[in-house]
Amino acid sequence: MISRHPESDLLVEYVSGSLSVAPCISVTTHLQYCKQCSDSVESLGEIGGELLNTAEAVPVSDGLFDRIIENLDSLVEEDPSDGVLHQCSDAISTELPEFVQRFLPDEELDWRRLSPSLKVAPISVGEEVYELALHRIDAGGKAPEHDHLGKEITVVLTGSFSDEDGVYQAGDFLVRHPGDIHRPFAARNQECICLSVLEAPIRLTGIKRVLNPFLSFTPS
Amino acid sequence: MKYKRTLGRILAMEAENWNECIEKVGKSQDKVAFRSLFTHFSPFLKAFLIKSGGVTPENAEELVQETMIKVWRKAASYSSSQASASTWIYTIARNTRIDWLRKQNRQNPDLLNAEDLYDERENPTPLSSLSHIRTKKLISEQLSQLPAEQAEVLRLMYFQGQSGQQVANTLALPLGTVKSRIRLAMNKMKLALAPMGDLGVLEGSS
Repeated sequence: MISRHPESDLLVEYVSGSLSVAPCISVTTHLQYCKQCSDSVESLGEIGGELLNTAEAVPVSDGLFDRIIENLDSLVEEDPSDGVLHQCSDAISTELPEFVQRFLPDEELDWRRLSPSLKVAPISVGEEVYELALHRIDAGGKAPEHDHLGKEITVVLTGSFSDEDGVYQAGDFLVRHPGDIHRPFAARNQECICLSVLEAPIRLTGIKRVLNPFLSFTPS
Repeated sequence: MKYKRTLGRILAMEAENWNECIEKVGKSQDKVAFRSLFTHFSPFLKAFLIKSGGVTPENAEELVQETMIKVWRKAASYSSSQASASTWIYTIARNTRIDWLRKQNRQNPDLLNAEDLYDERENPTPLSSLSHIRTKKLISEQLSQLPAEQAEVLRLMYFQGQSGQQVANTLALPLGTVKSRIRLAMNKMKLALAPMGDLGVLEGSS
């Protein structure tokens, strides 16, 4: 049962197109699990259509239709990713939603151990503001307690984890803000895999700084 | 009240008309239907695209062209049970704008285009047409009745592609005020938004 969803302003940003790549991926990932938010997104799309239809029209130049007709067959480049099904060779990839698999590299994921029970694999999506990554907590494992310097979005993909505030299952969408301190731990019976989006490196509070998960691949 | 009912009927008829046009283009490459779509939608598309940051009037026409070509090419996959014509075209225009802006910023849009990010490759599960029509009707009725300050926030977000934070900066308001205007607007339109802090919205949904 999904208990955590994106807030309404984030969904509007998503539908109106102002989210950058990694946050956009995190919302679409949540939608793979959540019928309710998918319905909301449909409705928010209707608002877009309605606003479009009631906009103050701006005349287009005379020859535009003819130019479009001329270009109907020639202009559009074939989408390079069309029909190409690539498969990440990492063993966990098949456990993840198909939508997430599309962003994984062909080869194995670059897992880095952050603590005895926590690993992270960065995913490159070519944007600068946010980092996208997969996190993996072993069954019964605990992540180091940490603070957040920037916004962090987590979507649970498989398994579940808990922290001081609750238990999160597959599909749950969590946003942490700077100053939130928490210590996640996975359920005893199953490892937990999450998709994470990070605005800035997080800071460990209780544990040696060298364990900071994101120092190793943040630009600064 | 009577006026409103008549207006509603006219709107519904028009909407059906555009749906049919897209379906004709999809089934038989009907250029007459395509021309009707162009004549109706391209001035709105230009209005929409011209407002986005960084888009000049010339670029706007280029983007209208790109959008209409995609309408032509994708029409075969359109189904009126999934989205109304204007929503479907809005989504294509939004994606065209996102990809174009990303290209301007020298990010690689070919690697991940907006369609990939929104997972629009495959046909989504069709909404039950009943709930679809109801939502659509509710939204067009309620949208015109929103308080100006809420409508303005939505317009800035949808038309200019501004984030909540950017809207806050534009209007010199705290972000919290912008967020609450969005929530109020959603409430008013009785959109069934997620329960996180929005529990009140659920009444009137389902």
